Amino acid sequence: MADTLFTNVRILDGTGKQAPYAGSVLVSGNRIRQVGRSTAAITPGVATVIDGAGATLMPGMVEAHTHFSWNDAPDLAAIQTLPLEEHVLWSARVAHQYLLAGFTSCLGAACAKPRLDVVIRNAIESGQIPGPRYLAASQEITVPGGLGDEMLPHLPFPDFSFGQVVNGADDMRRVVRMFLKYGVDSIKLNLSGDNFVPGADAKTTWMTDAEVAAAQEEVTMRGRRIIVHARSCASVKQALRHGIRLIYHASFTDEEALDMLEAARDEVFVAPGIGILYALLWEAERWGVDHAKAVSMGYEEEWAAACESLKAMHRRGVRVLPGGDYGFAFNPHCQNARDLELFVKYLGFTPMEALRACTLYGGQVMMRGHEIGLVKEGFLADLLLVDGDPLANVGILRDPKRLLAVMKDGVFAKPPPLAASRQWERAA
Amino acid sequence: MADVHFTNVRVFDGGGETPFTGDVLVSGNRIARVARADRGQRPPPVAGATVIDGAGAFLMPGMVEAHTHFSWNDQPSLDSIQRMPPEEHILWCAQVARQYLDMGWTSCVGAATAKPRLDVVIRNAINDGTIVGPRYIAASQEITVPGGLGDTTAPHLPQHEFAFGAIVSGAEEMRRCVRMFAKYGVDQLKINLSGESITGMPSEMSQFTDEEIATCVDEAKRWGKRVAAHARSTWSIKACVRHGIQVIYHASFTDTESLDLLEAAKFDHFVAPGLAWLINTCHHASQWGLTPEVTRRMGYHRELEAAVESMKAMRRRGIRILPGGDYGFAWTPHGTNAKDLETFVRVLGMSPMEALLSATAWGGPMMGHGKEIGYIREGCFADLLLVDGDPLTDITLLQHRERILAVMKDGVFHRAPPLRSPGGTTRYGAPASVTRWAA
Repeated sequence: MADTLFTNVRILDGTGKQAPYAGSVLVSGNRIRQVGRSTAAITPGVATVIDGAGATLMPGMVEAHTHFSWNDAPDLAAIQTLPLEEHVLWSARVAHQYLLAGFTSCLGAACAKPRLDVVIRNAIESGQIPGPRYLAASQEITVPGGLGDEMLPHLPFPDFSFGQVVNGADDMRRVVRMFLKYGVDSIKLNLSGDNFVPGADAKTTWMTDAEVAAAQEEVTMRGRRIIVHARSCASVKQALRHGIRLIYHASFTDEEALDMLEAARDEVFVAPGIGILYALLWEAERWGVDHAKAVSMGYEEEWAAACESLKAMHRRGVRVLPGGDYGFAFNPHCQNARDLELFVKYLGFTPMEALRACTLYGGQVMMRGHEIGLVKEGFLADLLLVDGDPLANVGILRDPKRLLAVMKDGVFAKPPPLAASRQWERAA
Repeated sequence: MADVHFTNVRVFDGGGETPFTGDVLVSGNRIARVARADRGQRPPPVAGATVIDGAGAFLMPGMVEAHTHFSWNDQPSLDSIQRMPPEEHILWCAQVARQYLDMGWTSCVGAATAKPRLDVVIRNAINDGTIVGPRYIAASQEITVPGGLGDTTAPHLPQHEFAFGAIVSGAEEMRRCVRMFAKYGVDQLKINLSGESITGMPSEMSQFTDEEIATCVDEAKRWGKRVAAHARSTWSIKACVRHGIQVIYHASFTDTESLDLLEAAKFDHFVAPGLAWLINTCHHASQWGLTPEVTRRMGYHRELEAAVESMKAMRRRGIRILPGGDYGFAWTPHGTNAKDLETFVRVLGMSPMEALLSATAWGGPMMGHGKEIGYIREGCFADLLLVDGDPLTDITLLQHRERILAVMKDGVFHRAPPLRSPGGTTRYGAPASVTRWAA
């Protein structure tokens, strides 16, 4: 692997503390070897030199709630009508797109068929397909009638569901063991309902403590992690009571829930998936969910509650991360960096804090805080070269034209464009 | 899509004549103009076209592989094909499809897939741009009988998922099976009419009743599908002609009657012998336990001799013999397919010109595209290879990725030719270069 030297770049190091500074960064192999405060070349040598001409160099972003297998369809049932073979190729394509969109690490938040996430993770790691670093999830484990149970009364076949439906602690244990056998990194439990599911709205809570405890016991024994869909207040508390450390959504909280979150703030991560709430409330009309319908489904109430809850968490020092359930028609893949804008606009984050949530905190939620998430010597060379200043406008991070280059593990996934002035001639 | 203008190239146009120096203009996905330079004038420049100065390189039609198994997984046994789970299998197929295009095969004819939908899904994904690969004719699984080639179930594990073939017995099961694959959207049904010595049923033996074969052909015809047959035995070759099965794979054992039958219907059939399988199984598989002694006992050496004689006879009689050699086993790995052309020249006595035509001009009708594929003529699809050197002098050139300077499929470069720039600068990514993004 050739070394790469970025000169003349503005370094945004991802710590959230350090103002950007002009400098240069030397990548050697798959790691950052040197970060200098001079714009001059660190070492001439044999490195490929990228003259950034003042562009921003920042850590690759981390997506904390990713569903490669969601297929940009307008409803949940459509996820399962995609056959297995097509589903794998779809997931592979989406993985590549995330990388090109600047997400060099993604945390799988559930896949639609048992092995999709595991297979994609393995294919990325073996170099068979391009994609971000990935933590593979199980399907969503749910209970009859909960989010993820898409069986119809007259078609009671498990294959219709994108979730795995369990009933009772023993059944939970069996399903968790199956996913551990397949090699997942995370087990996903749906503790609460969701306004998208009639009869199981976001304020409802579905699993027994015995079921959650059985899952937690199996997962802990095998050194993996439980991640939960928890929109209701009771489900947030249930998660915390069972020692679950990655909570998705957490829209509804009360004083007790916030106190519990704050008490565990050094261990807990919250990824609210704010993008899908906003999209359903304001942008889903084309797909049959106009604003009035979204309000009647409960999305206005949830949006207001979520903004309050997340602001409070942010004030109390709980780590809130981007990752917004992208992968629906109204919330399509690769717009994920919009979460950062929503954090700034609605949750009281400064742009610096929003960026820190997908860099420093991102490395931590990937469980590799010592080598992912910062532009720092010794860290993995996951880097973005951005045309402009994301601190002035975080929105530029979802504009492919502004993302000049994406490097993962020391290799360009998206190489920087060549200077336009140069004339190239092809010849044999 | 920007037009591409190849100038200063030696054009092998698929017509069988000596290559000429000239230029070729590609517009959209078709060849718009072919001009000879040796008639006195330089080609007029074309506004807006990307100019590729070939510097005398050899421009030829993209090659057609007539017997492709994307889902064979470069393993040493038939058994291990089925041990690959479907998720991994589809990614494998996607990887292999790209590799074929990379090696200059811009069209491939699927000769059977290992799980029911793999070929169809890959063809669709290529066509809609999800993945990169050649034009593709999607095949069914191999339709076989209990105990035949493709039945890899074990007596104590009779589940059909263990078999890479679809096992049928009786005309009604055959009809159901063909209908299922037609529903899935295959282009071509594959039926195993003869044995295959490595499975225990010798290649000279045949399987299926005439009624079953007739049902397969009849049902395929109703759906507008083509039938291709694994046919090593004499009886099975005759069955192909009798039943109008267009694509005959292997055709190792012939007699005068079968050759006469084939010759009489030579424009209705394509023969792809898959010689690489025979040659490599006989001589290059010791590493996997298949020493020459073992394969001689199996009967492969005898079959190889018979197949060579049969192919020479067919060649004399003007029957079209196409490359495509059952690649995808440990000793016939994917990507080495152009070895077939060398074999055609060295073993069957073809001229290099004939061997090139077998991979180009004869491939167009095999793909069901007549003269739109396999030629560099105005109006043809722009499937082109730019080759460093002259394959007519050295047919082995086409086995080397680096000698294939560029691969274009449907007017788009899959692999663009390497850059040369006069100012001492080099291609992006080369050591010691400075890259500026457009500030």
